[in-house]
Amino acid sequence: MNRKVGYLGLGVVLGAAATVAAPQALSYMSPAAYAAAADTYRQLNLFGDVFDKIRSDYVEKPDEAKLIEAAINGMLASLDPHSSYMDAKAFKDMQVQTKGEFGGLGIEVTQEDGLVKVVTPIDDTPAAKAGILSGDIITAIDDQSTQGLTLDQAVEKMRGAINSPVKLKIVRGPKKEVKDFTVVRDLIRVQSVRSHVEDGDIGYIRITQFTEQTAEGLKAAMDKLHNDIPADKFKGYILDLRNNPGGLLDQSIDVVNSFIDKGEIVSTRGRTPDETQRFDARPGGDLSGGKPLVVLINGGSASASEIVSGALQDHKRATLIGTRSFGKGSVQTIMPLGQEGALRLTTARYYTPSGRSIQAKGIEPDYRVLEDVPDDLKGKDDMKGEASLKGHLANGDEDTSGSQAYVPPDEKDDKQLAAAIGLLHGVKPSETTSAKADKSDAAKVETPSAAAARTDAAKPN
Amino acid sequence: MTKSLPYLAAGVAAGVMLAGLSEGALQAAAAIGGDQLALFGEVFNKVRDNYAEKPDDDKLIKGAIDGMLASLDPHSTYFDPKALEDFQTSMKGEEFGGLGLEVMMEDGLVKVVSPIDDTPAARAGLLSGDLVTRIDDTPVKGLTLKEAVDKMRGPAKSSVRLMVERGANKDLKEYTIVREIIHVQSVRSHVEDGDIGYIRITQFNQEAYDGVRKAFDHFRSDLGSSKLKGYILDLRNNPGGLLNQAVEITNSFVDSGPIVSTRGRNADQEQHYSARPGVNLSQGKPLVVLINGGSASASEIVSGALQDLKRGTLIGTRSFGKGSVQTILPLGENGALKLTTARYYTPSGRSIQAKGIDPDIVVLENIPDDLKGKVSSLGEASLFGHLRNGTEEEKGSDAYVPPEKDKDTQLQAAINLLHGAKPETLKSPAPAVSSQ
Repeated sequence: MNRKVGYLGLGVVLGAAATVAAPQALSYMSPAAYAAAADTYRQLNLFGDVFDKIRSDYVEKPDEAKLIEAAINGMLASLDPHSSYMDAKAFKDMQVQTKGEFGGLGIEVTQEDGLVKVVTPIDDTPAAKAGILSGDIITAIDDQSTQGLTLDQAVEKMRGAINSPVKLKIVRGPKKEVKDFTVVRDLIRVQSVRSHVEDGDIGYIRITQFTEQTAEGLKAAMDKLHNDIPADKFKGYILDLRNNPGGLLDQSIDVVNSFIDKGEIVSTRGRTPDETQRFDARPGGDLSGGKPLVVLINGGSASASEIVSGALQDHKRATLIGTRSFGKGSVQTIMPLGQEGALRLTTARYYTPSGRSIQAKGIEPDYRVLEDVPDDLKGKDDMKGEASLKGHLANGDEDTSGSQAYVPPDEKDDKQLAAAIGLLHGVKPSETTSAKADKSDAAKVETPSAAAARTDAAKPN
Repeated sequence: MTKSLPYLAAGVAAGVMLAGLSEGALQAAAAIGGDQLALFGEVFNKVRDNYAEKPDDDKLIKGAIDGMLASLDPHSTYFDPKALEDFQTSMKGEEFGGLGLEVMMEDGLVKVVSPIDDTPAARAGLLSGDLVTRIDDTPVKGLTLKEAVDKMRGPAKSSVRLMVERGANKDLKEYTIVREIIHVQSVRSHVEDGDIGYIRITQFNQEAYDGVRKAFDHFRSDLGSSKLKGYILDLRNNPGGLLNQAVEITNSFVDSGPIVSTRGRNADQEQHYSARPGVNLSQGKPLVVLINGGSASASEIVSGALQDLKRGTLIGTRSFGKGSVQTILPLGENGALKLTTARYYTPSGRSIQAKGIDPDIVVLENIPDDLKGKVSSLGEASLFGHLRNGTEEEKGSDAYVPPEKDKDTQLQAAINLLHGAKPETLKSPAPAVSSQ
């Protein structure tokens, strides 16, 4: 017993040959550490005991790999909504997501109450063209109910050969309208940056998610905008981060650096020294020529999007227009496990340059501008945000109300974009509603839900 | 597992587990399931070393165990020491201050399995299938079942507010209920219509068989055997309990023959329970058993055996369909594991898992308009991750019992049958099925 205590206290995995451990290990430990280690041992032992009893006595021969995976998922779910286990396949998918291309529909999905929920359709994909919306619940894929499927299984079903069709049954909004879609799969590129010249003198850049190509894509976009717009006419940039669920931290830092030349961008703080880091702008990284910048955010802007908008707001480098952002202020690290999967674990919180954590609060835009939501979509377009996720990391006074996450498909209806263009042309935006009205708007949001909408764990397919 | 007795839906730690066994278990596990366990250990250590905040090891392990058990089936669960104590309390039929609700967890909400007769919850009008969403000012989401139960319990005469969601329309209702001492009294009986012995078993706890025996004593002293026309055994909304109680109670109606058999993966889980001669207390009088969608597990053993042995006529609606046996496996100071270890089979060899028992005569209750669609039990077959039983599974069946006896169509049908009438109040099975 004693020997095992020392062994586990030193961080070696459960189930290894315990008798090998040196008894002297104990002498390094304070009584408190000893007690803590003994307790840990008791806990691990309990787990091993339960596992063993299931293996020996369960009515049917259990699948051990499935048991352990369920145990790991149960353990991680007890932590927060963004920590999860990826088996070999999920890990590969994640790598595809940050890099490559695949045959699919082009939606970000998450699991809620055992059902598959659309976080957002990706621009210019079959799903977006078919009219699938954020918040839609996918109840069946090719006539098979999604109830009982894991998120991975559902995503797997939606992916497939290019030009092959897939049938989706969707339940929409609080009235639970049922709709059937047949969508033809296309090559989905995780193309994360799109840009064009707006109104002849504004460089519009939309980042859909922060992948490995984002910083490069941004640089290419800015180069092109500089070519297309004469410098004397160039009024400024619009950086559109609406419904961008996040992505890679280093990419978000590079994106910020493309607009500022010095100063802190973000700092992270975890329990261990290597998780406590400060990231500063590299001089010479600024590609923007100091032109004015408007950042568009909404309730679907999360994580890396919030790092970018928070830093640019704190530096007073940009004016933020839109609605309050999602509020995911934590950092996950991907840790490969064994030969197979990987662990996605929340390892730190991040802080904007002014030292604030936006966890479960979100970022308030400088100008709050609401989109006009079509009648048939009213109440269906809001993101409930981090603070409504079960088991989220707490952060003082939180904002649990929903925030609008609708972007009109037609640019001419896009009031947030119009406000950004107006501002760059010297017109101060008029805010749509007062803060008070905001609350009542928020109250229209569907009944406080439930389950973990894991924006962060969202999977494209 | 000769060291621990099987229980249905429930049970009490009876086995002897060596405290040191767990160590051996770990080593055995390392030898066989070592890769898997090592993976778990690796994740556990990474979480402990790297998580953004210092994690609570107890909570991590609890989360792991709960996740692992939930992946098996809906009836396998972990009891921490406090939960185990509560469980044993309920099986012993002890007393506590509370509302009188049988509850279970569904989708993170507390679902009422059934309100217990003559308790504040039943009198307040709570119904089977109601979802408790808020207790006083605390949302139930995020609470464990045990935490929710603890919140509902409290000193007698104190009050508690429940927000309840009812039916497909999710009608919200708020109840303020004053707690009472709840005695888990599992058997109630009275003489019905002057010549029928009515016995209602609310759950199969350790007192159930004694209660049934006392009921027979009362009938004998109140009526005498010549006047007694027969018995009604009411198992409606009885969620189950201890296997041995179900066997004893069946035996008090039959003289001989098999009652139930269990089969698991291991040879030692194969058990055959047969009637012992000389303990039949019923003097061969006719018997009607009432069942409905809330009759589960031990209730289904009793009604299945009495049906197969042609000892009782079953009236009501299709039963729940829980055909598995759980064993309480003690975990030393850490509580116990309630694990599904076997399926059971009625005397004719059928498993009712995810199918339920169809009554001999289907009789539906008249459900008041405001409760329509809200008082069905969804049954085992609709539980996520339930054990499979072939392709012909059956879901959902009415589970409503009118509070007033004269409106209780099933009870009236039972009385009529014992009085020799096969009356027109009985409905054919067809409409019963379509109404599900």
